[in-house]
Amino acid sequence: MVSPTPIDSSKENTTDKYAQGSAAEAGLTNCRLCHHLTDSREQHCQYCNAQISPRVQRSVQITLSLLITSFLLYIPANIYPIMTTEVLGDRSPSTIIGGVVLFLSHGSYFIAAVIFIASIIVPLAKMFALAWLCYAATCRQNIDKYELTRLYRITEFIGKWSMVDVYVVAILVALIQLTGLMSIQVGIAASAFAGVVLLTMLSALMFDTRILWDKAIKK
Amino acid sequence: MAHSDDCQYNYACAECDLLIDMPAHIPHRTALVCPRCNHTLAVGHRNPKHHVVAVSITAIIVMVIALSFSFISFSANGQQRDINLFQASSELFAQGYYFVALLVLSFIIILPILYLLCLSLIIVNTQYKLHFISTHLLGRIASSILPWAMTEVFLISVLVALIKIVSMADVTLEISFWAYVIFATLFTYVASIVDSHRLWQWIAQGDKW
Repeated sequence: MVSPTPIDSSKENTTDKYAQGSAAEAGLTNCRLCHHLTDSREQHCQYCNAQISPRVQRSVQITLSLLITSFLLYIPANIYPIMTTEVLGDRSPSTIIGGVVLFLSHGSYFIAAVIFIASIIVPLAKMFALAWLCYAATCRQNIDKYELTRLYRITEFIGKWSMVDVYVVAILVALIQLTGLMSIQVGIAASAFAGVVLLTMLSALMFDTRILWDKAIKK
Repeated sequence: MAHSDDCQYNYACAECDLLIDMPAHIPHRTALVCPRCNHTLAVGHRNPKHHVVAVSITAIIVMVIALSFSFISFSANGQQRDINLFQASSELFAQGYYFVALLVLSFIIILPILYLLCLSLIIVNTQYKLHFISTHLLGRIASSILPWAMTEVFLISVLVALIKIVSMADVTLEISFWAYVIFATLFTYVASIVDSHRLWQWIAQGDKW
């Protein structure tokens, strides 16, 4: 029989899994919805009856899987046209990048910058930030937990702002329907892009920042 | 291991799980932050219940106005077109993009209204000791839908869309647009007063009766 090394056996008790001073260490579970503290042995919050666990279960796995899905959706969102403008029977499809290029060529640098930031920089930055958070939470040893929590907060805050592109298309499609003269049709990229925003927001919501704070004490 | 009975703390930070002893009173417009991760736990307000219920009901009325009139009108080459707020979603639906149409409708109209309704019902229920609907359920709904309400994002999108088409034709902003501007402002104000700590404190106060 192989006996475990003494150092490991003394360190491997349940309280060591969680950060010092945390509710989980004290045997309590903080409900993510109503912030009521319930005994960790319970499966449901004693106050609002939501399902609880000391940390979101498989948080990194769920976050990463949603993230990969959203990244895959981001490809068709950029390749296919987000809308098709039809002027006097002449159809011209435009992609997200195409819109930015169009405004640049017209000299409207400010609008081009707004669209470029909202629909290209923000989604990509959000995906990279979440991927980095997952990587830091699982693989890295000396992490700056304070900075990473701030990164998470920024990611969560900017999440819904990439929806701008979808709303712009929704408004243009509703407004510009002049029969025989000019009309705008939605493109498949709009669905893909809405999916990207939805999935990255869900992915951010599923990430549990508390695991970052648990990690710091392990070194 | 300490358990709930002998634990002096009554709150844990949502972002780093640090146990915190929440003060019973937080000064007006002062943010209470987690000492470890700097997460804003709660913001003090002098008279939150009255403000929230009054502003929420105003916002709902303004939203009714925003839904009843035309939103933007657009005219080019002698043709004119008026749209209302619903058409931002229903045109997508008509073109077969059901998923996007549903998302747009929920994020800009349904969820913000539902959030305000939940808040008003919670306050009225706990204040007047009515028990016709579970405040716990309402609290869970309100807490879950807040991240998905995007009134301010929609407002910016309208402006971006206007910039895109203003050179092509005459675009006029109608009553409904201005009503939506007011709605978005009021909604943001309410969301800034109601933090989840305060919301669940109200619900807990209602339980005592």
